[in-house]
Amino acid sequence: MNETSNETPDHDSVSQPELHEPESAAPLTSKVPSVSPLSIALASWLIPGLGHFLLGRTVRAIVFFVAVGGLATVGIQARGNVFPPRTADPFGTLGFWADAASGIFYLLARVLERAGPDVSRAAGDYGTRFIAAAGIVNVIAIFDAYEIASGRRS
Amino acid sequence: MQAAMPTLSHFWAMMLFALFVSMVLGCLTRRTIPERIKYAAWSFLMFLLIGIGAAWLMYPLSR
Repeated sequence: MNETSNETPDHDSVSQPELHEPESAAPLTSKVPSVSPLSIALASWLIPGLGHFLLGRTVRAIVFFVAVGGLATVGIQARGNVFPPRTADPFGTLGFWADAASGIFYLLARVLERAGPDVSRAAGDYGTRFIAAAGIVNVIAIFDAYEIASGRRS
Repeated sequence: MQAAMPTLSHFWAMMLFALFVSMVLGCLTRRTIPERIKYAAWSFLMFLLIGIGAAWLMYPLSR
């Protein structure tokens, strides 16, 4: 798809010469759109994959959106626990940060969670882990997009 | 919406988790699409094999 045309030339023009030449950021930065890395990171957090989409990495954008959305959707459907911002439990706070990293899916989970979590069943407990995993996967996506926008990764 | 969801069994939870995480790992660690698909498939199989293997190793402890 679009990804091949975007990433394969980078591979040919950047990685192979690095085998023989000193490492230089110039060839990478010249191909990066002039968008602030922080803006890209923020876009990636808000809608998983959006940062990669803005950078022209369409396949990565789709994969991150599907993976984060899939994990979050399974977790919500299984009635996992969506942690609120303020909890007395330190693990609840950690859970909130993990959940909130999935951006719009966390907000959707908060809105759609009408029946409340049901962690008395194994499926509900898995759901809690799936929602947290969605956030963690999106953290990886955010860092990847930030690195690409900074010109440190192609 | 939630009533339409079948019960999430242990096996299906593992399958879905392995699928989504393998997609991400393949996409992050390889450059071309065939390489990504190959790595994601390998990673998915390893998730399943190690998960089922660990389950069988723990099976005697549950009795």
